[in-house]
Amino acid sequence: MNSIVMKQDASTAIRELLAYLLSSSRVDAVLTMRQVPETGSCDLGLITDPSGMVEAEPFLPVMTANAGQALSSISMSGKRIAAVLKPCELRGFTERVKREQGSFDNLLTISSICGGVFPLEKVISGDLEKLVPRYIEKTARAEAPRGLRETCKACEEFVPMNADISVSVTEHGSLMHLHSDRAEEYTEGFEGERIEARADQSHIDRMMKSRSAAKGKLFQSLEKSSGLDGLVDLFGKCVGCHGCSRVCPICYCQHCDFESINFDYNQPYFQESLEARGALRLPPDTILFQLGRLTHMSFSCVGCGMCSDVCPVSIPVAGIFKKTGERTAGLFDYVPGRDSEEPIPVMVFKEEELGDIG
Amino acid sequence: MRENTARKSVLVLGAGIAGIQASLDLAEMGITVHLVEDTPTIGGRMPQLDKTFPTNDCSMCILSPKMSECIRHPLIKLHIMSSLEGISGEPGDLKCRVIERAKYVDPSKCVSCGLCEEKCPVKLDDVFDVSLRKTKAISRYFLQSIPSEYTIKREHCLYLTKGVCRLCEKVCPTGAIDYEDKDREIELNVGAVILATGIDPFDPISIGQYHYHSSVNVVTALEFERMLSASGPLGGHVVRASDGREPSTLAFIQCVGSRDSGINRNYCSSACCMFAIKQSIIAREHMKELKASIFYMDIRAFGKDFDKYYDKAENKYGVRFTRARVADIIELTDGSLELKYTFENGSIQREAFDMVVLSTGLQPRPETRGLAESLDLKLNDYGFFRSKTFLPLETSRPGVFVCGAANGPKDIPESVVSASGAVAEAAKYLELDRQDPATQEDAPPEQQVTGERPRVGVFVCHCGINIAGVVDVKDVAAMAEGLQNVEHSEDVVYACSTDCLEVIKQRIEEHGLNRVVVAACTPRTHEPLFRETINEAGLNPYLFEMANIRDQCSWAHMEEPELATSKSKDLVEMAVAKSRGLHPLERLPISIDPEALVIGGGLSGMTAALDLADAGHQVYLVEKEDELGGNMRDILFNFDGSDPQEFLGKTIERVQSHKGIRVLTGANIREVNGYVGNFSTLVEDGESRTETLTHGAVIVATGGIEHRTSEYLYGETTRVVTQTEFERMLKDETFPAGRLRNVVMVQCVGSREGERMYCSRVCCSKAVKNALELRKRRAGANIYMACRDIRTYGFSEEYYTELRDGGALVFRYKPDRKPEVELMSPGDPDSRVRVSMIDPVLEKEVVIDADLLVLATAIDAPEDNSVLAKMLKVPLNSDGMFLEAHVKLRPVDFATEGIFVCGLAHSPKDMNESLAQSMAAAARALTFLQKKTILADGTIAEVRKDRCSGCAYCEAVCAYSAIEIDPEEKVAVVNDALCKGCGACVASCRCGALDLRGFSNRQIHAVIGALDIEAVEGVTAT
Amino acid sequence: MISDKHDDFTPRITSFLCKWCSYTGADLAGTNRLQYPTSIIPIQVMCSSRVDPVFLIKAFLSGSDGVLMGGCHPGDCHYETGNYHTRRRFAILKEIFDSLGLESDRLKLSWISASEGPKFAQVSNEYTEQIRKMGKNPTRKSVFL
Repeated sequence: MNSIVMKQDASTAIRELLAYLLSSSRVDAVLTMRQVPETGSCDLGLITDPSGMVEAEPFLPVMTANAGQALSSISMSGKRIAAVLKPCELRGFTERVKREQGSFDNLLTISSICGGVFPLEKVISGDLEKLVPRYIEKTARAEAPRGLRETCKACEEFVPMNADISVSVTEHGSLMHLHSDRAEEYTEGFEGERIEARADQSHIDRMMKSRSAAKGKLFQSLEKSSGLDGLVDLFGKCVGCHGCSRVCPICYCQHCDFESINFDYNQPYFQESLEARGALRLPPDTILFQLGRLTHMSFSCVGCGMCSDVCPVSIPVAGIFKKTGERTAGLFDYVPGRDSEEPIPVMVFKEEELGDIG
Repeated sequence: MRENTARKSVLVLGAGIAGIQASLDLAEMGITVHLVEDTPTIGGRMPQLDKTFPTNDCSMCILSPKMSECIRHPLIKLHIMSSLEGISGEPGDLKCRVIERAKYVDPSKCVSCGLCEEKCPVKLDDVFDVSLRKTKAISRYFLQSIPSEYTIKREHCLYLTKGVCRLCEKVCPTGAIDYEDKDREIELNVGAVILATGIDPFDPISIGQYHYHSSVNVVTALEFERMLSASGPLGGHVVRASDGREPSTLAFIQCVGSRDSGINRNYCSSACCMFAIKQSIIAREHMKELKASIFYMDIRAFGKDFDKYYDKAENKYGVRFTRARVADIIELTDGSLELKYTFENGSIQREAFDMVVLSTGLQPRPETRGLAESLDLKLNDYGFFRSKTFLPLETSRPGVFVCGAANGPKDIPESVVSASGAVAEAAKYLELDRQDPATQEDAPPEQQVTGERPRVGVFVCHCGINIAGVVDVKDVAAMAEGLQNVEHSEDVVYACSTDCLEVIKQRIEEHGLNRVVVAACTPRTHEPLFRETINEAGLNPYLFEMANIRDQCSWAHMEEPELATSKSKDLVEMAVAKSRGLHPLERLPISIDPEALVIGGGLSGMTAALDLADAGHQVYLVEKEDELGGNMRDILFNFDGSDPQEFLGKTIERVQSHKGIRVLTGANIREVNGYVGNFSTLVEDGESRTETLTHGAVIVATGGIEHRTSEYLYGETTRVVTQTEFERMLKDETFPAGRLRNVVMVQCVGSREGERMYCSRVCCSKAVKNALELRKRRAGANIYMACRDIRTYGFSEEYYTELRDGGALVFRYKPDRKPEVELMSPGDPDSRVRVSMIDPVLEKEVVIDADLLVLATAIDAPEDNSVLAKMLKVPLNSDGMFLEAHVKLRPVDFATEGIFVCGLAHSPKDMNESLAQSMAAAARALTFLQKKTILADGTIAEVRKDRCSGCAYCEAVCAYSAIEIDPEEKVAVVNDALCKGCGACVASCRCGALDLRGFSNRQIHAVIGALDIEAVEGVTAT
Repeated sequence: MISDKHDDFTPRITSFLCKWCSYTGADLAGTNRLQYPTSIIPIQVMCSSRVDPVFLIKAFLSGSDGVLMGGCHPGDCHYETGNYHTRRRFAILKEIFDSLGLESDRLKLSWISASEGPKFAQVSNEYTEQIRKMGKNPTRKSVFL
């Protein structure tokens, strides 16, 4: 595979590439993480001026929002955009494209082998500054840095699946792999040595080893809260803010159906229920909400972890969705976000399948 | 110029199921119908029946929606207690003299309260309940009579005969009694007349050996049917008249008044075997310990799925079938009956039974002869209206057609088929205009209910004792009264009866109801009726909901009355919950393409095509073979000597020269798209050229194929042939060389066993026909026939008698002991065969050296039926034959509108039956094609644009391409005409942007919420 | 998990039945007077594919001891392909239940044709018995749902 050797650190190299794309008018805008050096605050930004690149921190290990979700509507604006996305963000975006919520048509996607991100609380507490240098060092050695989100520690899909350009960073240097014609075309004229190279598989294998171990642990810890009582324990804390669905890249609905009147206590029966049960939970249907969401999108869950990150009462939503999602997607050998042409399991069927179900 | 109204109207005589069907079909085609009926009600024989074979459907349940539809149709003018006295004029312009007898009750005043009947001092035997119950001189014909008003039988009324009494007049609260009422003679000018005068059961009083007259425990089949009926005089609890005891043994004697040339009944009544099997099954369901025996000559279970029913009676219900003639019945002192019966081998046995049911045959009504005289119609030897081969629905007088059993015994579906068929034939004398219901505004103005608080009315039906016998309906109605939004609740005896429908309308007005819930039977049959009723009261028909507390409650939980009552309450509560969310819906017009596609160019397909083309419709007739004719090409003789090939030739010529028919031979259907009125079909010809045809209806007439057998050495010698091959041999006189002394025929080759658990129906008659033909040509030939049952039903029985009288020998074999065949000269391709079988009379093996062995091979469904069925989205039965919408009352329709079936594609049948069914399919298709538009259902999907994210899940799951994402707006859009209302898209919608009108998400949530589930004890709030 | 095992209780089995096949089959069971327990509470839907899995979850969480989904046999759907979608949705739902340790046997999908009255009665009897053995749905007990 054609790859570009990056002389500087990966962030600097990508920043330069993005600036090059803007200045050569190959793209109209760039989507990337930004960080304001003075305050340390960070966000996702859409930058149109090459001079704005100074603030770009394309590989900042934090996810303020799933960029795949953010990219969704702007990808359909007709503007040419280069987007730096974490693998899960790219997969989330791919899932959205399948739901007509985005388009690859005018998009150059850049992703990287992902070391994971820190919880948002680290941004708020201001600890991020201290954590990042150590993070870069450790990920280059395929080691797991401390303090990452649980979901990230357990993420096995850290290699980008369908990016135009992917970046791999190891102790031996950084490479920009060009996966598509569009990548070749857009990087034409961009300085850097071209070599035939792939991402270092042993580096990936080492990362995978610790990820798989962590995933095993995470899923095992969730087993403790298995069953109805377990679910009641888990979601008993839920305050019904539905933040998890708002930040979810797969929950693309403009208005969530679970917030419609259908899911309020049903007049006039709530009174009967109240009499029968002696008490009622308000707001209602927290478990129905989560089970319902699982039927809506678990097979498409990309495990980005945003839901857990924003949960005000620390429910391990992402772990639950990932665990269930792997099983529901597995029914149909479906890998969410792998390929924009792969149909969503609930949109299609095979005449001969699932013979034992009915 | 005066418009010829005669050509736009038809007189139908007789309002049984055949008359009702004919009237409805005509009316749907825009023809005015004068339905003339002798009794005070429509319905005919069917209301007397408890259940119908072979599905055990409740007869009244399936009939009553049709009765209601009939009386409500604006184009059907009903003349009850009326008779047709004479016809003059020419077809297309017939003048019919009708006498409407005095009813002595003003129907516009009568409220059917029944006070008159209660007070009337004159007690009479009730005709409807075959004298098992008393009625009065003023009465209703039966409880669910339509129309429901009372009438006086003048010959029994004390005042009208003796000038005293007038009690009814005194008690009548509305002053409806009118003793001055007079008979009226009217003249009706019509284009054609259809006779549907029906049939009577044979009266066994004349047959001394059965002691019907002297023994009260000997009853006729019809009497027994009334005993079994839940609405009958015994409430469904069968007891002996002698001592009121439930019988534990029961004997059915078949062929009482049938197959008996001694009393001029040399025909088979066709339905009695199945009738007895049905009664034995139903009786056994009523009385678990009952032992039923059927004494018979042959079990004639020749119809679609009949043999499976026979098998079920024998093997599941333990009904004993005994092939023996009952010679005498002796009444014992305890009222039981000792039967003396003779087996085929001559041995005699005696056995006592608690009750005996005489399976009485069917015979023409006594009035038939007089009617034939006054209308100048010919009768056959037995007094049925005479129809000819090739013209199964015509009488001897042009413009006068016959359907139902009036021209020969028929079961219900055959009667319905003949009724629709007669309509197609009558249509030739009529002037048909395409109707446009979308522009007809005869519906009453609808009340505005949007925005109003729901005001629900609940009606809980007793259904006689069908529901009330198990469920405490009063309790259910009382519970409903307490539900939120329920303004009114009451229990009613028969919710579907005309008077109760009036009650519902009254209550809507009285209580300002804007939602109606009926807790009764299944919405599948009765929802349309109730919807129409509330519509008449000014409510949008969709403001109606049903709770099925009969079929899925009282009937299924007969042993648990308390639990059934509590379940009924749940179901009512759920229905009320659902009804709160009902909204008025609009029915959108769908345009109907007037062209038709007929698939299959055999006799059936051609007949249907001709009828449609004669009615002015362009027809595409697609035949996969290179020539027309199908199986008919192999029918070379008829019983009556008429020439089938001449008829076929004429038919083909008419088809080919008809301007309205385009014949596509060597063509195959590749793809069918669309829906009623708007089909498009891709046809491919022999040279792989394709063409798309657009049409409004489809008739499936794909025929059947002769089973290829490997039994009985078929294929190993030229002397083993099929009946079809034999028929050709007879025609061409190409018999095998040498003498033709012994000809053995084996019946049921491939039929009634293994994967073909069905009777191929035509083989027995065909064998008899060919055997008689053989005798004509080779008088000296010995004919041996090996069969299981000989099934020469109807008038074919005569020919079977003729064959036997001529000396043909009939051997019965059992499927586990079939005749054995061996080659007499192995290696010789023309080897004669030696046939060994058991002679049941001599009870020993007989060996026949046969010069020819003729096999009556089964009729198979073509294998590609399954491909076509998939393309058309219509079902097949387990035998691979097309499965109609309802085996009794919708015999040529599919559940999918606009598609019809006829001929062998439906099931094995003979030429005349195929003809009648093809005519019926054409008539049914005309009920659509004769409309420019039909109205789509209101329950279709809808989009809330503000919630739609345009994800296209809906587009992916819709099988009808009825929903797609608007490329501009990026929201889903429903094609109202294409949407079938299945709701697949609604359930796929993540955003809640889609919903199903009439059954919204909100309603389902409400229904689930209404399910009253008690918490387990010890609920904790933590 | 708490479950109250009373062999004599009448379970509540919320049953979504498609109009053309399983509801008709259920009618046929009644017409034939085939007896089955009152546990089966039918809700008629046009097609099994009308049933959003969320309805099944709702029925389950509202205390139904069993939830039955009846449709036409695969290939026989009156609406051509509806039941294929139902089958996938149902498989997903079952998998969700299993993955969370919920009693997925409280959900049942059954293909019952319009002519299969006996099968409807049989499924009703067997499923009721199975649910009876499982005991009352613990969701009846909990208020935090």
